[in-house]
Amino acid sequence: MTIDAAEEQPVALRPMLDYASVRTWLDGLRQHWGGDPATDDPERLPVLEAFCRYANRDPDQIIKETTMIKDGDKRIRIKGRNKYAALIDGWQAGVEGSRIRKAKWGNTVRSFLIHNGVLLQSGVQT
Amino acid sequence: MEYKEVVGRRRSIRFFDPDRPVEREKIQKMLEAARLASCAVNAQWQRAIVSFRDDLTEDQLSRLKTPVAALNVELAPVHIHWFNDLSIVNKIQGSRLKELVDVGALAPTHGWSHKFVDDFVYPQILKPMTQNPGYPVPSTMDVGIAMCQALLTGVDEGLGVGLVTLNGAVLKEVFKVPEEWIPLSTILVGYPAESWEAGGQRPRPPFEELYFEGAYGKPFPRDPKVVEELKAAKMIQEPAKPNDPKRIAEIKALAEKYGLPM
Repeated sequence: MTIDAAEEQPVALRPMLDYASVRTWLDGLRQHWGGDPATDDPERLPVLEAFCRYANRDPDQIIKETTMIKDGDKRIRIKGRNKYAALIDGWQAGVEGSRIRKAKWGNTVRSFLIHNGVLLQSGVQT
Repeated sequence: MEYKEVVGRRRSIRFFDPDRPVEREKIQKMLEAARLASCAVNAQWQRAIVSFRDDLTEDQLSRLKTPVAALNVELAPVHIHWFNDLSIVNKIQGSRLKELVDVGALAPTHGWSHKFVDDFVYPQILKPMTQNPGYPVPSTMDVGIAMCQALLTGVDEGLGVGLVTLNGAVLKEVFKVPEEWIPLSTILVGYPAESWEAGGQRPRPPFEELYFEGAYGKPFPRDPKVVEELKAAKMIQEPAKPNDPKRIAEIKALAEKYGLPM
């Protein structure tokens, strides 16, 4: 998949924790799995940041593109989800290292979407 | 396994061992159980197509996956797709009711006869029923009863089972089903990759909120002695608990094993 608007300027990213969607993600991880998700996996935030650079979107923009408000209710944008599912697959395939490492990186981004309410299934990755 | 324990052990399994095939005879036993289910006017609306995942093409499997059920469909080695054949009542025109008369299941003691079926039941009740927009509802309920018997038989055979609803149009196309069949749910079958307890019995509303005696508003009293008896029979089991460390550890291990997001 090619990224829309290939001519866009590279996204300017603030520290990941500045984004509301990232805080929502970490809160979700904490509530579901316990521990301190901001520190228990040192790769977590850098991986998301790397994906954001690949997608040329900041985290909040990604959630905005995969959700919408319709009739007062939050909905998942099917096209947006499909776009990001494919983007993650493509990005994951290009990650250097073992298949496990590729899967971990892809699943980190999927986890970000999932804990922001965007249901996404990847299938078996091993 | 005793019946009550089978009921108690059933869970909607979502982590199947993708590499452990299911014996054909166990699938047949599930279907045999479904065939014996209670069914109004003995019409037998139920139809099922057994699909072995590894016999599907990559494209077919991909099309069957829905956002919610994609992983389950991928993991489960067997999918049993259930349908409601709405055409059956007008095809058999009461003949299966007459079979029930012949074998003494429906008897004159209760007012039944071939003549009653031919003159009244089919032309005045069943045929008009098929023209009623609400017709699919009760007939689908009967397919559901059959599916339940299949599910429980799967559990009795040591399998994991889980219901999902896939895209009906895709099911009809992939499996080339007749136009008059309504796609219902799919039973996914396989050996559980998770423990059979799968965290415990799922949360349910209180008994008294669901069941009444005499009229709505007066709960059917729940006798604690009966509850204890059912616990002893393993029908009522340890309930799943929120944030159960054992279950969390189990899911983490499964996520790592299959490379799933957390």
